[in-house]
Amino acid sequence: MRPRSPVHPWLMLGPSLVAWTLFVFVPLGLAAYESLFAWDMLTEPVYVGGANYSAIAESGELGRILGRTLGFSVLVVSGSMALGLGLALLLDRPGRLFAFVRGAIFSAYVVSWVAVALLWVLLLDPDRGVAAALLRVFGLPRVGFLTDPHAALVTLAAVTIWKITGYAMVVFLAGLRSVPQSLHEAASLDGAGPLARFRWVTWPLLKPTAAFVATTSLIVSFQAFDVVRIMTGGGPARATTLFVYAIYEQVFMNLSVGRASALAVVYFLVLCVLAAAQLRAWRSQTVGRRT
Amino acid sequence: MSLSRRSFALGASLAAIGGVAGCKRAVRDDKGRLRLRLWFSLGGRNREVLLEIVKRFHATQDEIHVEPVYQGDYFESLAKLRTAIAAKVAPALSHVVAEVVPYLARASTLEPLDGYPGMKEIPFVAPLAQSGGFRGGGERPLYGIPLNRSTPLMYCNGDIFAKEGLRPPTTWKELVDTAKTLTRPGTRWGHEVPISWWFWVALVGQAGGVVFDDAGRATLGDEAGVRALRLWQDLVHRDKAMRPPPGRDYDAWNVVNQDFLGGRAAFIWTSTAYIRYLEDNAKFPVVAAPLPRDVRASVPTGGTFFVVVKQAPDEEKVAAARFLRFFCEAEQAAYLSTRTGYLPITTPAAAKMRADGFFAKHPNDDVAQAQLANVDPWPWEPLLFRIERDIVDPRLEEAVLLDRDAASVLGEARALAARPG
Repeated sequence: MRPRSPVHPWLMLGPSLVAWTLFVFVPLGLAAYESLFAWDMLTEPVYVGGANYSAIAESGELGRILGRTLGFSVLVVSGSMALGLGLALLLDRPGRLFAFVRGAIFSAYVVSWVAVALLWVLLLDPDRGVAAALLRVFGLPRVGFLTDPHAALVTLAAVTIWKITGYAMVVFLAGLRSVPQSLHEAASLDGAGPLARFRWVTWPLLKPTAAFVATTSLIVSFQAFDVVRIMTGGGPARATTLFVYAIYEQVFMNLSVGRASALAVVYFLVLCVLAAAQLRAWRSQTVGRRT
Repeated sequence: MSLSRRSFALGASLAAIGGVAGCKRAVRDDKGRLRLRLWFSLGGRNREVLLEIVKRFHATQDEIHVEPVYQGDYFESLAKLRTAIAAKVAPALSHVVAEVVPYLARASTLEPLDGYPGMKEIPFVAPLAQSGGFRGGGERPLYGIPLNRSTPLMYCNGDIFAKEGLRPPTTWKELVDTAKTLTRPGTRWGHEVPISWWFWVALVGQAGGVVFDDAGRATLGDEAGVRALRLWQDLVHRDKAMRPPPGRDYDAWNVVNQDFLGGRAAFIWTSTAYIRYLEDNAKFPVVAAPLPRDVRASVPTGGTFFVVVKQAPDEEKVAAARFLRFFCEAEQAAYLSTRTGYLPITTPAAAKMRADGFFAKHPNDDVAQAQLANVDPWPWEPLLFRIERDIVDPRLEEAVLLDRDAASVLGEARALAARPG
């Protein structure tokens, strides 16, 4: 479709462009600029060039934060997708009981992060929590879910999965219902069992839905802040200091705007790479469907 | 350019503060009293005591109305104060942790109080005031008025110690032996202390070190710092006689208190601020003792100082100074100390408490008083707070929990402390 005037597309794009410029590009440019200074918001900024970047890189802090955040994302995305799909397949049945269970699972998604995090802090208390009581009942050793540096990140990922799986399940349910029943019937007539039908009929048609769920889960995992702030404060031994929390910690707790800005710029670049990879995957899928 | 950059960077902060900057705040209340905003970060009984003192102040005069607003814990409150100062919407009066006073003073954000009537004449207990709480603090303008001041203190479960026929440890060696003797695997830890800068600094001092040398270099105690860290690592990993409490900052402090009160820790280190709380809530006699010594005795001071924000309107600063003078009167200072466990900040308050027989009735408070002789002042170092929060604190936790080599952890911390940032 050809616009009547070359100005029209820009008029349509205008409001979004203004908002993006004001709230994304300008702050990002400022962050990039600030990252070249040592600045605490109160005293005069001191130009330090790339010292903030080299400080976070040389100390290994950047690598560790990046590794943790990516590890957390992998756990959250794979966990929420697998569980969401499994639950959708299991609960895609008529009847009030199934509707109630679906509603109950989805309810976690609408509860605020703060409430969820506080609830799980109580449940996971190593001495007085429900989880600790269960371990004792089964004669298992005490686990510091939030206090053991080796367990804390996995625990936060598990809580995040618990929170967002309901959403993944609902999206997968919608995807499942868009799969024509006739295809399943035809496959059955050809002798395909439930597993084969899932492998060759359901899954190929669910791929766009899965890509959507993966994208939204990835966004949630990279934005993780509330759950870290409330459940662990980035500890123990910085084991749960994810990217967004690290930026917050640098600017508000450690009085270092320059260091926080450097982290924010790197964070943006990481997200760009991930977004490009995601876009590539989407495009290849779309092309695949058209051919 | 600089102004524009700052304005943009602070835009979000302004929005977060609710657009207060855009509307001029009412200077007087409906009774014509000058409104004096006070941001505070005290909870529980400490909060009640502060609010009671404010109430008493209101009862003495009709010109000033103090409006206390709770702002979260010390660190949250500091973050808000810095943001508010940068956005030029800070309250006239607030209080901040001691270590941050030199930083805020260097940033020219604090009002020197020497010129306000009567401020220089307040007879502070030296180690708790700016003059004795910081090396060279007396030679600088008066920026901080002590509010709630404390030192670390050792608390022992009287029943457990009596049953085992033990006395509170007085040296590091005795500390290790006592912790091992009193540990009952699975049910009770001998010793517990928050893995945090404040207690580590106490250990560094006891091992004969200082965190900053006289030239302003962050030495982090050099060899003494390493020995201090190794003491904790050995207690946790080799002796298995100490629990590193979970959580950061005051979450960990709370866990230590709860473990002590629940009989899950035989002796702990925490702040003198908890004397009343622990005594009132323990089902056993609480016996306070000075921290043990290594090559010498040493404790840092903690708690907060009132500060007056320089950019506040003049009449609010005058009002703040008037409230501070009232706060420092013996009656108020003694009230705060007797109700909480924070140390009396003026010599008349301490004398009043002694004359009233308070220390005779409360020997634990007397132990805390006596320990003031062992106070090592903080360096007047603007980077002190950043080094504490950004560099040392997280590494202490990492080194203790993961049993990393103490020398290399502190070497890395020293290198980072020397960098700009």
